Amino acid sequence: MADRRVAVTGAGIVSPIGNTLEDFQRSLCDARPGIRRLPGEIAQRTGVQVAATVEWNPMSVLKENEAAGVDRATQFALGAASQALAASGLDTGASPERIGVYWGTGLGGANTQEAAYRQVYGADEWRLRPLTVVMAMSNAAGSNVAVRHKLRGPFANFATACSSSAMALGEAMRTIQAGRADAMVAGGSEALLTPVMLLAWQALRTLAPADATDPAASCKPFDKRRGGLVLGEGAAAFVLEDESRARARRAPILALLSGYGNSCDALHMSRPDRDGQVRAMREALAESSVSPGDIGYINAHGTATTVGDLVEAEAINAVFGELAAHIPASSTKSLHGHLLGGAGALEFAAALLPILRGWLPPTAWLEEPDPACMLRHVPRRAERVNPPRAVMSNSFAFGGSNVVLVAERA
Amino acid sequence: MPRVPSASIMRPMDTLARIKALASQEFTLDAQALDPAAPLDKLGIDSLSFIEFMFKVEEEFGVSVSDEDLKGIKTLSDLERHVAAALAACGRA
Repeated sequence: MADRRVAVTGAGIVSPIGNTLEDFQRSLCDARPGIRRLPGEIAQRTGVQVAATVEWNPMSVLKENEAAGVDRATQFALGAASQALAASGLDTGASPERIGVYWGTGLGGANTQEAAYRQVYGADEWRLRPLTVVMAMSNAAGSNVAVRHKLRGPFANFATACSSSAMALGEAMRTIQAGRADAMVAGGSEALLTPVMLLAWQALRTLAPADATDPAASCKPFDKRRGGLVLGEGAAAFVLEDESRARARRAPILALLSGYGNSCDALHMSRPDRDGQVRAMREALAESSVSPGDIGYINAHGTATTVGDLVEAEAINAVFGELAAHIPASSTKSLHGHLLGGAGALEFAAALLPILRGWLPPTAWLEEPDPACMLRHVPRRAERVNPPRAVMSNSFAFGGSNVVLVAERA
Repeated sequence: MPRVPSASIMRPMDTLARIKALASQEFTLDAQALDPAAPLDKLGIDSLSFIEFMFKVEEEFGVSVSDEDLKGIKTLSDLERHVAAALAACGRA
């Protein structure tokens, strides 16, 4: 356990089920879904029928001329980071060199890239706007957060697919623990619901078809009827601080981020590996000050793919043994879809719900649990619970990257 | 696709007024209060923003300003001179 503990003092959310932490958590409690049918032509031509989209007004954080100069993924990032900093009450101007930004994204400015390709190859207009590079680059979102708030400390951008933003949080924790920063803004964003990316994901044959009776119920993690993941978009940001400094300034402390596991399967680009996931969970537990029995909720990666859910359930059972039958675990992707590079950060916010509000977020639509996925599920509806001492959040990515976070009650 | 000047340039209008109007729209500035002789950075227009702005000016007037000429543009008046010269060169002044 590190000498320097890390407090979570602010959170901001832009998601398919709410654009503040409060709205997001309320939607989880009410099992209010953000998965919707895609417009007819896009659905027809890509074959992708549903996605979890954000209802977003960029002018909530940007002037009109500014919004046109940043990608949608950056707009989400600015929205989430501004909320997190405002909630934390952190004085960013006091020592900006001691506050950094670590951000995670899978593809960066996907909408900008696609617009550029469409213009050149589709419209045969071989002239691109000058901001194309700085809008599309993968570090654009994090860099814009740093510029907006004048945060001059350590900066990094993580692009490890679905573990990107969880890695940003874990590495930010270690940066504070190492004394290299007093506070960090960490999180991630993704906005890639573009025709080409929808087609690319469809080609992988991992996307769920629309539920025949309720499109919102198309993502069914751990259910026998599960048919794959549903793509989402959005962002989540957190302010992490040296706990002693946070307490000295009487900051609101949502939780302590105390464990971070990071492993690579080094086996396959897309097939998950139980042992890699086990190592990440064990590392996160070992780094935190909690024992496996203190974990009172696991936010599973739970993408609703046949193999992914099965392997994760096996990994959880391998780590927790007999305790696994008693530790509530759920996949909130059933409601907000898969935010890819933004997933780890958003689901960390979901994982804090039991600590902050005493509610276990559900795996919505879980009516026929797959007996091969032996877990203590939270089916369909949120459950009331005494706030547990600690929670865990799993993020397992294509490329074999596994990241696990452990948070403790403050 | 060939670049076609927008219809508006076919009308005899004051070039500087049109540049000021574009700048006003792009940077949310008061067109009436814009001092064309003021250095661009004093107007809050940084180098990257100016490159993006030039892209729109070129589209609006259907002209092209070379990289070399771009380096010499420090004010909106400088820009107006280059645009006017480019229009004259193609007989549209």
